Parts: sequence; C-alpha cells; structure tokens
Amino acid sequence: MIATAIQQLLNAAQLGAVYALIALGYTMVYGTIRLINFAHGDIFMLGGFVGFLLVSVIPGLPVAVMIPLAMFITAMIGVMIERVAYRKLRNAQRMSLVITALGVGIFLENLVRILVGPQARQIPAQLPNKVLKLGGGVVITEDKILVILISLALMVILWVFVNRTLIGTAMRAVADNRDAVQLMGVNLNLIIATTFAVGSALAAAGGIFFGQAYSIDPYMGIDLGWKAFIAAVIGGIGSIEGAVIGSFLLAGVEVLTVAYLSSNLKNGIAFGLLIILLLIRPNGIMGRAELKKV
Amino acid sequence: MSILEIKGLSVSYGAIKALEGIDLRIEEGEIVSLLGANGAGKTTALRAISRLLPIQGGDILFQGKSITQVPVHGVVSLGIAHVPEGRGVFPSLTVQENLKLGTWANKRKSAIPDLRQEVYRIFPRLEERKTQLAGTLSGGEQQMLALGRAMMTDCRVMLLDEPSMGLSPLFVKEVFRVIKEINATKGTTILLVEQNANMALKIAHRGYVLETGNIVLEGTSKDLAHDPRVKEAYLGHQ
Repeated sequence: MIATAIQQLLNAAQLGAVYALIALGYTMVYGTIRLINFAHGDIFMLGGFVGFLLVSVIPGLPVAVMIPLAMFITAMIGVMIERVAYRKLRNAQRMSLVITALGVGIFLENLVRILVGPQARQIPAQLPNKVLKLGGGVVITEDKILVILISLALMVILWVFVNRTLIGTAMRAVADNRDAVQLMGVNLNLIIATTFAVGSALAAAGGIFFGQAYSIDPYMGIDLGWKAFIAAVIGGIGSIEGAVIGSFLLAGVEVLTVAYLSSNLKNGIAFGLLIILLLIRPNGIMGRAELKKV
Repeated sequence: MSILEIKGLSVSYGAIKALEGIDLRIEEGEIVSLLGANGAGKTTALRAISRLLPIQGGDILFQGKSITQVPVHGVVSLGIAHVPEGRGVFPSLTVQENLKLGTWANKRKSAIPDLRQEVYRIFPRLEERKTQLAGTLSGGEQQMLALGRAMMTDCRVMLLDEPSMGLSPLFVKEVFRVIKEINATKGTTILLVEQNANMALKIAHRGYVLETGNIVLEGTSKDLAHDPRVKEAYLGHQ
C-alpha cells in the first residue's frame, strides 16, 4: 500500500519535472513582457524533435552532448520566433500578441507534421535505464531518477541566474518599467531574446525527457503545453518558484487521480483544481498582487 | 564647448507638435532649470534627449557630438543619466538591486564600491532599507533611490524630471538640497524640469521657460525670479 503510494509519487515527480521545465518558459516570458506565449507548448514539442533528429542523424552521439546541443538549437529557434513574430508587436495591444502566439503555435505544429509526419515516435533510450529496487517493492529506473535530478539542477541554475546575476535582475526589471530599464543602459532586445532563449532551452530538455519516457508527435505540445500553463498559473504566473510548485502539485494530483480514482477524471480534476485555487488565490500560490506605488 | 546643446529640436506625437524647434545650452557644472506649465513640453524635451522619443528635427549635441543616432540604451554610457517622471524605480526589486542596475553601463567597475558608499552617505535611509523592495518605500524614499541609482551610473549630466512631484514639503526641501549637493560635490551638470519654479530657481544657475513647445524666456535664475512674466505665471504673487 505504502509502496504503491511511493511508486506513484516518483511517477508524479517525473511528470512534474517535465511540466516545470515547460511552465518556467511561460512564467519567464510573462514575467518580462507580460505575454502568455501560447506557442510555448510547441517549442517544447520542437525541442523533442530536435533531440530526436540529433540522435537519428548522428548515431552514437553521447546524451551529455545531445541534450545541451538540442537545448541550444531550440533556444535559437525561440529567439528567432520572438524576433520574427513578436518584436514588431511589442507595443501593440495585448490581444494582437496573444493571437500571434496562437498562430505561431499552429504554424509550428503543421510545419513539423509536414516535415516528419504525424506519427508518434520515441527518442531511443539514451540515459542509463537499469531498474533499481528500492526495497518494499518500490521500483525505479535510473533514467527516471536522472530526469528528476537534471530537471531540479536546471531549476536551481535558473533561479540563481534570475535572482543573483545582473542580467537576471534586468530581466525582472523589464516587467516593472521598460523605459527605466533602457535608461540604465540595458539593451531591451537582448534581455527579451535571452528570456526566450532560456525558456526555450528548458522546454527542449522537457521535450527530450518526455520523448524518452513516452513518445513525441507534432501535437504533443497542445496538451502538455496547456497543463504546464495551468501549472504556472496555479503557482502564480511570473514567479519561478510558483511554476515549479504548481507543476509538481498538478502532476501529483493527476497521477494520484489516475492511480486511485480513474484516468477519465484526470483532466477534470486538474482543471477543477485550477478553478478552485484561483477562486481562493487569484494571483496563484506564489503570486503577489501587483505591487506598484504611484 | 557646452556639455549639452540642443539645436532646433522638434518632436511630434502624430499630428500634434510637442516641441517646435527649441534651443538649449548647458555648460559643464551648471544646474539649469526648465520651467513651464503642464503640457508645455518639458518631459518631452528630456525624453528626446535620452532618445526615448524619436525626434522630427534638430540636433542634440553632447560634448559637441551629435547623439541622435545613439540608441536609448547607449545614452547612459555616454554619461547622461535620466531620472524619469514618476521616478522609474523598479518596485519588485530591492533597493540594492535597483542601485546595482544603475551600474549596468558603468565601465569603471572599480569605482562602483566608492559610488555605492557615496550614495549611502548622501541617502542613509537607502542603506537602512537596502534589502527592502523598492515598491514598499515612500514616495520621497523612491525619489532618493532614483537619484542614487542615477549616481551609480557615474554620469556627468543628470536629467531630472519633476523630482519634487507628489512629495511632502519636508521631502521637497530635502530633494532640492541633495540635488544641490550632488552638483556641488561631484560637479554633475543638472538639467532640472520642475513645476515648483520657486525651489528650482533657488538652486539653479540659469533657467529656460517653455510654453506650448517654444522657449519664451531664458536667463539667470535671479533675472527669471524677478521677471514679471515669470512671477505672474509660475511663482504666484508674493
């Protein structure tokens, strides 16, 4: 009984790690330019395919090279998307930007479908995946542990980057006052590009981890993207800690619902949780009410 | 050569002309005040100098060189710091982090600790509250943070937009005293936009009066303070 529960929590941690890697991109972009980047789920999908193509084209590419390389390539794609689709609209009404983001998402899904076909594929196992018996009947594979640990490490690095470096400080300042940031000598385009690069790189890691554990297809970003977006909102969009907490919470609720109730109830309970939480805390768990003195 | 010279500067918002070709000249080490009513174009002039606004005509010279091709984020590294209207502090960052961002374009990294010490000496309140979020400071404290942050850029010219706006009389006095101190001790040149003409003329060496996009008067602060038109429109009868 307890063994099953622990087993389920480990599964939840793996799913939560993937959600968190995506949710961080939503929250970072929102945190700087107040845009819900609805194409972000599709960047996660792209990241999975970039990883898939890398291992297909270069057989024997070590995973320790493949993941960073795929993250880098996807980061550049993210920067390009911002440059081409969003930059010109930065001062336009919010709605134009949101519609554009939805359009970019549909474009990416169909582009990948045309290029590689609609079928689901699995990224061949790259991480070591011996089965470890933890005692009491709890079983875990090495890759699961690695996914959780690498994700947590990426989150810690991101937290340090955003909260302890000058570039990170500038990122946080952009949302507060775009004019004043530039008056400090900060190149706004550079900061926003960095935000997209970092968010896309994390999503790519998530895409690869997901593609190894399950499978990838051109539309995987829709479902996972929405879930991660919900996780970011539950945690308090704009907050890094919030995105991580929201992701693990959502994954926990989903996995436990499937295990103990019914898989049919999974989405209903996840979205229900969102509604209830937002009724109690409209700004999310870690969200602050807008703090501005005039 | 003047440190800052504005020649025939024109700025429009769509069809509306905000500045119709104004000339300003500021010598190194001066405090120059730019007076005028609401909507006269004072803020527009500062935003044009720091390149936040595109200009339609004229030229802006810093130490004799045109800066109209410099991007917004390049202006501060030339030595021009702009404290915008409403102070422009970053409310969700701490006091320390606000000051740190002021050093972004400061190329003399070795000078930063001294600058910080100087800021804390002039504004002891900022040191007391350095780990506090700027959004939780009072209006006067936020203005001090904005001035301190501008000092961190190691600038030679400060553009100050209504530093006394919305402050209690006590803080207004304090802000003007500090501006004078920065000018006197660091030799920082200051272009001061103010509605509080009384106080501005007390600390400034010279002044310009802006009316609906045109300079209508200029002179030393003393002359301006005694000019009947200035008395009538900006100082009130005393």
